[in-house]
Amino acid sequence: MGTVTLGGVLRRGALAGVAAGVAASLVAFFVVEPVIERALAVEEARAAGEPAAEELVGRATQVVGGMVAALAVAICLALVLAVVFAQVRHRLPGRTDFGRATLLAFLGFVSFALVPALKYPADPPAVGNPDTVGARTAQYLSLIAAAAAISWLAVLVRQVLVARGHSTPLAATAGVLTGVAGYAAIMLIWPAASGDIPADVPAQLIWDFRVASLAELAAMWATMGATLGLLLTPRPPKAAPRTAEATTAA
Amino acid sequence: MPSHVPAQAADPAVAPIRVPLLAWLLAVVALVVSYLLLQENGLVTTGAVAEYLHEFTHDGRHALGVPCH
Ligand SMILES: [Zn+2]
Repeated sequence: MGTVTLGGVLRRGALAGVAAGVAASLVAFFVVEPVIERALAVEEARAAGEPAAEELVGRATQVVGGMVAALAVAICLALVLAVVFAQVRHRLPGRTDFGRATLLAFLGFVSFALVPALKYPADPPAVGNPDTVGARTAQYLSLIAAAAAISWLAVLVRQVLVARGHSTPLAATAGVLTGVAGYAAIMLIWPAASGDIPADVPAQLIWDFRVASLAELAAMWATMGATLGLLLTPRPPKAAPRTAEATTAA
Repeated sequence: MPSHVPAQAADPAVAPIRVPLLAWLLAVVALVVSYLLLQENGLVTTGAVAEYLHEFTHDGRHALGVPCH
């Protein structure tokens, strides 16, 4: 395995971010937007009769804005992933940088997307009480910080057990259990999601939106991890030297 | 690192990469940019620019599961 430098990791991270952003914005356009349209129809029905409010930003611009936001956030998160990867690479299990990078991205998905989605599921526009947004934001951000700390603890538990000479399966199991128990604990401790869903929003619409949102987040993190891992994978040696090697061996 | 450790051994030790403070600053800046794009509901910035940014990224905010009004 060749030497891996910080600069090299960051460059690959930036590229992984672009790939992840493209993947997420495609899911946003084809999967999430149709559900948002249904939510906006509910909002429109609500406002029927009232004079149409002046739109600050048109619908088409918002669709583009949603895709741009997904791209920008993916690049930012991929840079964070790259810095963290450089810092903790030697603590992560796995035989290859592909394995380590995809594992770290998986932990990123769990901490930044899955745990918050399970505790505070995504809601479409037309849902949400402006009075509670400050409290909901604080709960959401602190839950992410706690979930990231649990992920870090899980990696550490596994590493310490390996260093003390315990078997790899035992150390891995202890790490996974630490993570699962920790995520469950913080989800129990954190305050319940605000029940701000108005009665005129169908349950099916809420459910479809939550699944679509999670699909976009999963596409982002999966593409991020796989791309970073692939870019860190050394290219196989060219055919000519390999043949020479085989001849020498034979 | 001892040179006799075979490269194919399960869970091989890899040399740590030195990560200077500057790299962590970059990570923090990246997180702050994400926050401004997605979390901003008037906590840090206000005015017409903030309002435009909020509306421009509105679909993205909801799609990425971020709390919104
Ligand atoms: Zn909003």
